[in-house]
Amino acid sequence: MTPTLTALGGGFRAEFQQLRRSRLLVVLTIAEAVTFLMLVSIFGLTGSHVPTAVVDRDGGKLARQWAQVMSATYQTYGVRYMDASSAEKALNRGDVAAVLYIPDGFSQHMAHHSMIRIHFRVDNVNADLTNEVELGIPPAARAFAVANHFPGIRVVSAETDLVPHEVGFIPYLVVSALALAAFVVAGTLAASAVAREFETGTLAYLKLSPAHPLIPLAGRLLATGAVSAAAVSVSALLVVVGYGVEPVHPAATAVGLLLCVVIFSCIGAGIGTVVQRALPLSALIFGLALTFYLDSGSLEPARFYGNRLWVIGHTSPAYYAVGILQYGVHGLRVTPETIPVSFAALICWALLAAGAAWLGLRRAVVT
Amino acid sequence: MITRVARALRQTWTLAAHDVGQWRRAPWAVAAALIPPVALALLAYVLTFNLGHQPIALVQEAHGRYSDHIAGIFRAQRGDLYTLINADRASAMRLLDSEQVAAVVVIPKNFDAAVARCPALQPDQVIHDYTYARSGCPAAQLQVTLNNVNHNFAGEIRRALSETVAFFDAPDVITPVSETQLDMSDLNPYRVNVMTALTRPNTVDYIHYAVIPCLVLLILSVGVMGTALLCARDIERGTARHLALAPVSSVVLVAGRLLGGVLVSLVVIVPTLALAAWTGVIAPPVGHLPALGLVLLATAVCAAGLGAVLGATLRGARLVSMAAAVICTYLFFLGGGFTTIQFLPAWLHRMTAFVPTSYAIDGLRQSLFYPGLHGFGPDMRVLLGTAAVAVVVGGVVVRRAWSR
Repeated sequence: MTPTLTALGGGFRAEFQQLRRSRLLVVLTIAEAVTFLMLVSIFGLTGSHVPTAVVDRDGGKLARQWAQVMSATYQTYGVRYMDASSAEKALNRGDVAAVLYIPDGFSQHMAHHSMIRIHFRVDNVNADLTNEVELGIPPAARAFAVANHFPGIRVVSAETDLVPHEVGFIPYLVVSALALAAFVVAGTLAASAVAREFETGTLAYLKLSPAHPLIPLAGRLLATGAVSAAAVSVSALLVVVGYGVEPVHPAATAVGLLLCVVIFSCIGAGIGTVVQRALPLSALIFGLALTFYLDSGSLEPARFYGNRLWVIGHTSPAYYAVGILQYGVHGLRVTPETIPVSFAALICWALLAAGAAWLGLRRAVVT
Repeated sequence: MITRVARALRQTWTLAAHDVGQWRRAPWAVAAALIPPVALALLAYVLTFNLGHQPIALVQEAHGRYSDHIAGIFRAQRGDLYTLINADRASAMRLLDSEQVAAVVVIPKNFDAAVARCPALQPDQVIHDYTYARSGCPAAQLQVTLNNVNHNFAGEIRRALSETVAFFDAPDVITPVSETQLDMSDLNPYRVNVMTALTRPNTVDYIHYAVIPCLVLLILSVGVMGTALLCARDIERGTARHLALAPVSSVVLVAGRLLGGVLVSLVVIVPTLALAAWTGVIAPPVGHLPALGLVLLATAVCAAGLGAVLGATLRGARLVSMAAAVICTYLFFLGGGFTTIQFLPAWLHRMTAFVPTSYAIDGLRQSLFYPGLHGFGPDMRVLLGTAAVAVVVGGVVVRRAWSR
C-alpha cells in the first residue's frame, strides 16, 4: 500500500511541478476554455436585434409607436432613428441591415384606419439575414394593430409558458459552454501529461518502477485533474460574476462540473495514449469540443434538433453534463431524462472513461 | 546587380522550399493546423440545418371553414418557419413533455364561431367609427403552450406563430412587388402594406455564406501555425544560431522563412479551392479570380507574419500550437467568420473594423458571391497594409530571436 501511495504522490508532485514550470501552458489552456465562453457569447449576441434604421418622415405619435413596437416585438430589430441620407450611408456601409421609411401622413392614415404603404430596404447579404429581417415585419404590424384595437383582427394567440422565469440566450449558452470548457482544459492537460511521457521516453523508467507503472501516471492525471478543476472553477466564477448568473442548485452544478473534469481527464489520457505527441493535442481537443458542442443541446434542448442528432447526442457525456448544468444553474429541464438519470449516466461515463484510459495506458506502457 | 538579386531570390526560394518540405514531413503539425478549421466548417454546416426550425404540434379540434384555413396556413408554412406534427391534445402534451415538440398549438372547438363573430373588413368599408374596434368583438384564440427554455428560442417560436396568425388576417402585409402594382390590401386589418426592396441582385444561401469563410480560417491556421512552428523549432534545436551565422543576408533569410509560411498556406488552400470548385461548392465568376487570388495571398502573408512573431516569441511547439489555435479562432470569430457582422451589437461591430480578418472574409465573400466587387478596394487596402506591417514586424522579431 505504501509504495503505491508513494508512487501516486510522486506522480502527483512531479506533474504539479511540471505545470508550475509551464505556467504559460496552463494560462493558454484556461484561455482556450474562456475562448469557448467568448465564442458562444458572440454567437448569442447575433441571435437578435438586427440593427435597423427607421427614417421617420411623419414624426407623429403613431409613427413613433410603430417604431417602438417594431423594436419590442420578439427582439428582431435593434431600431436606430436616422435621417434618409444617414440611413442610406449606414446601409451601404453595412452598419444597418435594413432601412424602414415611415412615410409622411402615416399617423393620420393609421388614425383613420386607411391603408398606407411603407418602404423597407433590406441588405440581402445572405438568405438568413434577409429572412430574419423580413419575418419580423408581420408580427410587428400585427402587434401595432392589436395594441391600437384595429378592427378586423380575428385571431390572437393565448400563450401558456412551461418555464415561469425565462432565461436569456447568452446565460443559457455560457452554462452549456462550461461543460465544454471543462473538456478543453481537463482533456488538454491530461492528454499533454500522457503524451509527454511518450515523447520524452520516460515510460521506460516507469516500467522499472517497483510499483505498478500506471500508478505514477495516475498521480500525474490527478494533478492535471486538480489544476483543471481549479481552472473550471475560474470559468464558472467568470460566468457567475461576469454574466450575473447565479446557480439555483450550486451543489448539483459543482458535482456536475467535477464529474466533467474526471471524465474529460480520462478521455484526454486516452487521446494522449493514442496520439503520443503533444503538438496536435490542443487543436484536436478543440476540434472535438466543437463536435461535442453540436449535439450536446448547448443552444437549445438537443431533442429539438431532431431524433437522429438527439440519439447521437447520447453517445457524448457533454449531453448529460449540459442537462445537469442547465438544471443546476438555471433550474431548467433540457433533456427528457431526469436529473438522477443524467447523474447516473455521467458516473457510468466516468467509470467507462477511466477503465478505457487504464486499459489503453496499460497496453501502451506495460506490454 | 542583377546577378546579386537573382542569387538572393534563389537563396530565398531554397530556404522557403526547405521549410515547406519540413512542414510536409510533420504530419502532426499538419493535423494541428487542419483540425480547427475543419471542425468549425462542420459545425457551421450542421448548425445551418438544425437551427430555426422548431418542432411544433398542431391540435385541430375544430374542422370548420376557418379552422381548416388556419390549419392549412400552418401546413403551408412548415419547413420555412417550423416543423409540424399533427396530433390530438393528449398526444401533443406528451410530445411536449418528452421534448419532442417545442410548443403545442390548439385550434379550439369554438374557433370558427369566434372568427365568424368578428367579420373581416369589407373592401368598401371606410372606418371612422372606433366603436367597431372596441365593441367587445372577441377575437378567436389559438391556445399555445410553449417550452420557453430560453429567450431566443422562445422568441423564435413566438415570432413564427405570430407570422402564421398574421397570415390569416393579412396575407399581404409584405408585398415584394413593384411600386406600380397597387396592393390588394383593402382587407388587411393592419392597414399597412410594407414593400420590401433588396439592395443586392442576388442573395447567398446561408450554408455557403457561413461555411466559405472557413477558407480564411484554414489559411490563417496553416499559415500561422506552420510559420510559428518552423520558427520555434529553429530556436528549440539551436539551428537559429547557425542561420544567424550563415553567409547570407538576414533579409534573405527572413524573407525565405516568411515565403515558406506563405507557401505552406498555399499548398493547402490551392487544392482545397480546386476541390471546392470541382464539386461545385464554389463557383466564382471568372473575372473575380484575380481578386480571389489577391485576398487569399494577402491573408497568407498576414498569417506568415503573425506566425513569425508567435514562433519567435514563444518557446516550445506545444505552446506555439495552442497560442496559434486561440489567436486564429478569435481572429476568425471577431472577423465575422461564424456570424453575420450586421447582427452584432454596435460596439462589437465597430470593433470588427480593427480585425484584419473581417476585411479578408468580406473580400472573399465579395469575390465569390456577388457580381460586383463592391467595397473590395478598401478591404484590400487594409488587408495589404496589415500584411506589410505583419511582414516587417515578423521579420524584425525573427531576426532578433535568431541573434539571442
